[in-house]
Amino acid sequence: MPIHEKSLIRPENLKTHEQLVIDGVDVSGHWSTFIEPRVVTDYNEALEEEISALPGGEHIHRCWQCGSCTNSCTVNAINEDFNPRYWIYLIRMGMESELLRDKDIIWQCVSCNKCTYACPRDVFPEGVMKATSHWLERKGHTPKSPSMHFDEVFTEQIIKTGKIEESRTIRRFFSRTKQGLFQDWMIEMVMRLLKHLPIGLLTRMGMATLIAPRTRNWSGAANAMQEYIAEQHEKQEQALTLAQLVDVAREDAAA
Amino acid sequence: MTTKDKYKKVAYYPGCALEGTGHSYNRSTKAVGKALGLDLVEVENWNCCGAMEVKNVDPKLQTYLSSRVMSVAVNEMDMDVVMAPCNGCYHNLKKAEYDLKNDAESVEVVDRLSKKAGHKTYESGQVETIHALDWIKDAIGEDGLAARVRNSLSGIKVANYYGCMYTRPRHIFPEKDAGPGSESTSKPHFMDDLLAAAGAENVEFPLKTACCGGAHTLSDSDTSTKLVLNILKAAKLAGADVIATECPTCHTGLEMHQIRAEKTLGETVDIKILYFTQLLGMALGLKPKKVGVHENISDSISFLKQKGLA
Repeated sequence: MPIHEKSLIRPENLKTHEQLVIDGVDVSGHWSTFIEPRVVTDYNEALEEEISALPGGEHIHRCWQCGSCTNSCTVNAINEDFNPRYWIYLIRMGMESELLRDKDIIWQCVSCNKCTYACPRDVFPEGVMKATSHWLERKGHTPKSPSMHFDEVFTEQIIKTGKIEESRTIRRFFSRTKQGLFQDWMIEMVMRLLKHLPIGLLTRMGMATLIAPRTRNWSGAANAMQEYIAEQHEKQEQALTLAQLVDVAREDAAA
Repeated sequence: MTTKDKYKKVAYYPGCALEGTGHSYNRSTKAVGKALGLDLVEVENWNCCGAMEVKNVDPKLQTYLSSRVMSVAVNEMDMDVVMAPCNGCYHNLKKAEYDLKNDAESVEVVDRLSKKAGHKTYESGQVETIHALDWIKDAIGEDGLAARVRNSLSGIKVANYYGCMYTRPRHIFPEKDAGPGSESTSKPHFMDDLLAAAGAENVEFPLKTACCGGAHTLSDSDTSTKLVLNILKAAKLAGADVIATECPTCHTGLEMHQIRAEKTLGETVDIKILYFTQLLGMALGLKPKKVGVHENISDSISFLKQKGLA
């Protein structure tokens, strides 16, 4: 999949005129398409620092823009707007408003790690995608993505019991994202499964939904993990106020 | 001790999926082990490795969870090999091993959490984590397997699907891409080798390590359905009857989105989906029920009957 740089031009900035003559030169039609220039003024100088402070984003500074990540990307192959290389560029340049144009799709990274495999600079673009989607959520630019809801439901269950019982996770996820559990394809799947599922397994699965499987003596680990999450959250919150610090410094300098 | 002997008795880490939707993988792995005379000792009181989700909350939390499993194996069971059939578990244990060997901060966090949790800290190098493929390939080998086949898989065309987490990212698998005999991260072949030894005909399948979208199987179902559809169609085009899998997330994802593609996109791809351990088990003479074929979502019984395996 080649990189389509053309897709980076905003469609509204492409101007084609059916009839236009400038200084006696006919510039009508497709062959005289103009790209309207744009001026970027709202740099967020702390953007790269902030994203580096979130887990996964640590190595973004290593990027030299070769494009191997986008070239190998699973999601890019089905949606060319999904462009890790470009987003890394924007973040490093501090072009926040440009990044925000794609805010609703960045969380869709499937963590296949093809980018990490291909990256010659060990940027770990997969981690950068996760850090960026966290940044978007924590800065209030996007609501929590379905994926983040899933990660949270999942992690909460592990902290609570040490193990995952899938039906419980799925039910909680659907209720938290306010989706109906009984979607057409889901019903069809269960029906097909029931057709050949033996009673023994059915009983076992039924039991697991009633009594969650647990790791014994788990409370020590659970507490340790909760403390750790709280401590990390605190650190990250501090890092996320960097932009404000830059503003304050700028005001001070001006005064 | 040679690898062959070392893998005769290993600590078995089934993980959460193998107790739920991937139960047929659990059943077939144990059945194949038994048929081959290999000893599996389940990791005592194990916990979840963190799957694909915990790392998104915090990667070091996942490192801790995976390290606890290895700590139990070495400190409480005195085992030095952990075998994980699930790609997710296998990947996470390998990742923890890598981080604990190379990243001082991970070592510090894991040590702190282990002490608070009240168990011994796992130290890198104490345990070797292997996949079910390494286990059979090294403990039995292709020749050993071929000699034990009772019901050849001949006439069955297989597309071997390895998924993401068995080979990526490369740096957490230092034993791969290490010359002749080692597994390849760009074009893995261990599953191909084992199934060929059992008589199957492997088709040339370009999407061996493509992604099924397992991370977003429910949170972004449309993407997953598209990715799965690609895999199913490519396998079909390559001439396969069956896609052989080695990961419960991939396997369930393929089965679920095969149905979802039918229901939401009206695209039906008629191809069977079986765990490689199910195919191997039947080749070793086990009945489909013994390897949990009835526990799969998709129904392969009539196909297996037609091929003389049921």
